[in-house]
Amino acid sequence: MASPAEPIVRLEGVRHVYGPHGGKGVEALRGVSLAFYAGEHVAIIGPNGSGKSTLAKHLNALLLPTEGDVWVKGWNTRDPRHWRDVRSTVGMVFQNPDAQLVATVVEEDVAFGPENLGVPRDELRARVDWALDVVDMQAYRFRPPHLLSGGQKQRVAIAGVIAMRPQVLVLDEATAMLDPLGRRDVLRTVEHLNREAGMTIVAITHFMEEAALADRVVVMHAGQVVLDGPPREVFRQRERLQAWGLDVPHVTELAARLHALDPAFPPDVLSIEELVETACQVWAGQEKAL
Amino acid sequence: MDEFELLRYVTVGQYIPTGSLIHRLDPRFKLAAFAVLVGAVTFTGSYLGNAVLLVLIVGLVFLSRVPLRYVLSGLRPALPVLLLLAALQILLYTPDFTRGTNCTTLFQFWIIHSTTCGVKLAIVSAARFVELLMLTSLLTLTTTTTELTHGIERLFAPLQQRFNFPAHELALIVTITLRFVPTFAEELERIVKAQVSRGADLGQRGRLRFIQQTRALLPMLVPLFLGALRRAEELILAMEARCYMGGKGRTRLIELHSTRQDVVALFVAVLAAATVLLVPWPW
Ligand SMILES: Nc1ncnc2c1ncn2[C@@H]1O[C@H](COP(=O)(O)OP(=O)(O)OP(=O)(O)O)[C@@H](O)[C@H]1O
Ligand SMILES: [Mg+2]
Repeated sequence: MASPAEPIVRLEGVRHVYGPHGGKGVEALRGVSLAFYAGEHVAIIGPNGSGKSTLAKHLNALLLPTEGDVWVKGWNTRDPRHWRDVRSTVGMVFQNPDAQLVATVVEEDVAFGPENLGVPRDELRARVDWALDVVDMQAYRFRPPHLLSGGQKQRVAIAGVIAMRPQVLVLDEATAMLDPLGRRDVLRTVEHLNREAGMTIVAITHFMEEAALADRVVVMHAGQVVLDGPPREVFRQRERLQAWGLDVPHVTELAARLHALDPAFPPDVLSIEELVETACQVWAGQEKAL
Repeated sequence: MDEFELLRYVTVGQYIPTGSLIHRLDPRFKLAAFAVLVGAVTFTGSYLGNAVLLVLIVGLVFLSRVPLRYVLSGLRPALPVLLLLAALQILLYTPDFTRGTNCTTLFQFWIIHSTTCGVKLAIVSAARFVELLMLTSLLTLTTTTTELTHGIERLFAPLQQRFNFPAHELALIVTITLRFVPTFAEELERIVKAQVSRGADLGQRGRLRFIQQTRALLPMLVPLFLGALRRAEELILAMEARCYMGGKGRTRLIELHSTRQDVVALFVAVLAAATVLLVPWPW
């Protein structure tokens, strides 16, 4: 339907005001224009209340813009006739693993979305099997959700969304309530979906290490997009980010401090491996550099 | 505090898998047979009719291979109320229970009027209570919650088409309730612990302690309700995000199969009910 250069999701001058229309409400989005392309892995960061969740809910017609338009594969989200298409194209995983599982058995929860789409029963089975395989939860298919760990619940939630075969997966702080192990498993699953299945990922997060793994980082502040680019370019702007109350990844912070001591050291390092490698290159033969 | 730890293990309908014939029945037929038997119990006023039903139900329990004590486990907490009820029925004469039968007065004093009819009423209603309890226990012990909700939905589906009866919605409500009972139990446990750690006292002794306990629970129920409302809102969003737009056009993962056994089971239930209700039992 869309040519390769066409974005899957496009926002044009989106404003969103909560509360009384016309009267004074909370203006959560103040003119956001963005495009997400097939296969991208985008991280959205921003301080609390900057409008990230509001933005996310616009991507699949859970909220409609007060002004401006959102297009998903050419469908305007204002048109109720296309909500089913829009929502099966853009799947969404929320923060609280306990508030998004509806069934009393894992496999039936995974089937909930495709059931709503009216997928015939044989294919339904196949989709549930596939989705549970992808998130590595086959062994738990007959368990009740309340007996799973947070990370497992979140993986079931992801399975429930990908069973609808969406092209875009939006994760609104999906790892925020998880312990480190649960978070690692969920991130691994998301990476896999992006790499192997070519799924477009839009991940809202407060963890800068997570954002550093994306292809592109969008920074929100007070309802606007203030930075948008590859993680290296975004995290190079340490002072600006800190002024908005945001951190940079710990490694980047370390690299920036090293840069202050030794201008030869680049300030925009994103991973520990890279830090080690850079250190070896820059300080080769200088045993007493520090 | 141990009493609150227990909350987490609350389960509604404790399924005991034995793989028996009763377990394998199609939930639609099982529910229908259940309804028929409940009807029979409700409208049987004779000793013999109740005896037949009791024998039948005990037979079903044996067929299900669920230990009898599980089926009767709900009886003990209900015993005080049951005894009180029986006492009242025996002591206070109710003329409209057995119309046409002759009641002999056993003794009479002030407002107390004890008759043979009162005694019969007490025995019959106790028997009915036990029968109903066994029937419901048997149903929940041999049917998983999913079977139950799917059974309800499909059983009432024709009514939905004809009269707009909300069968799908009903099943969904039951499912979501069953899904969230353990979650809320967990949440309540957390709230109670937080309150107790800040000095709330729940362990009072004394005869009227239940009043104090109830009052002490109030500050815990308020956050529980607020939490439930917030969660409900989140759940609605999550369901909408997964394309939920009502029951129309939905397909189902779970398929229900009915076999000859199911038809036979329902037939037996109807036959039993008819026998009990239509035969003019001598007493
Ligand atoms: N349902 C609502 N009704 C009214 N105002 C709301 C509602 N939801 C959000 N807001 C307001 O809109 C603004 C943006 O909220 P939003 O939830 O999008 O921020 P966020 O970036 O996701 O924050 P967080 O990091 O805390 O999740 C905030 O000022 C918030 O108070
Ligand atoms: Mg948010």
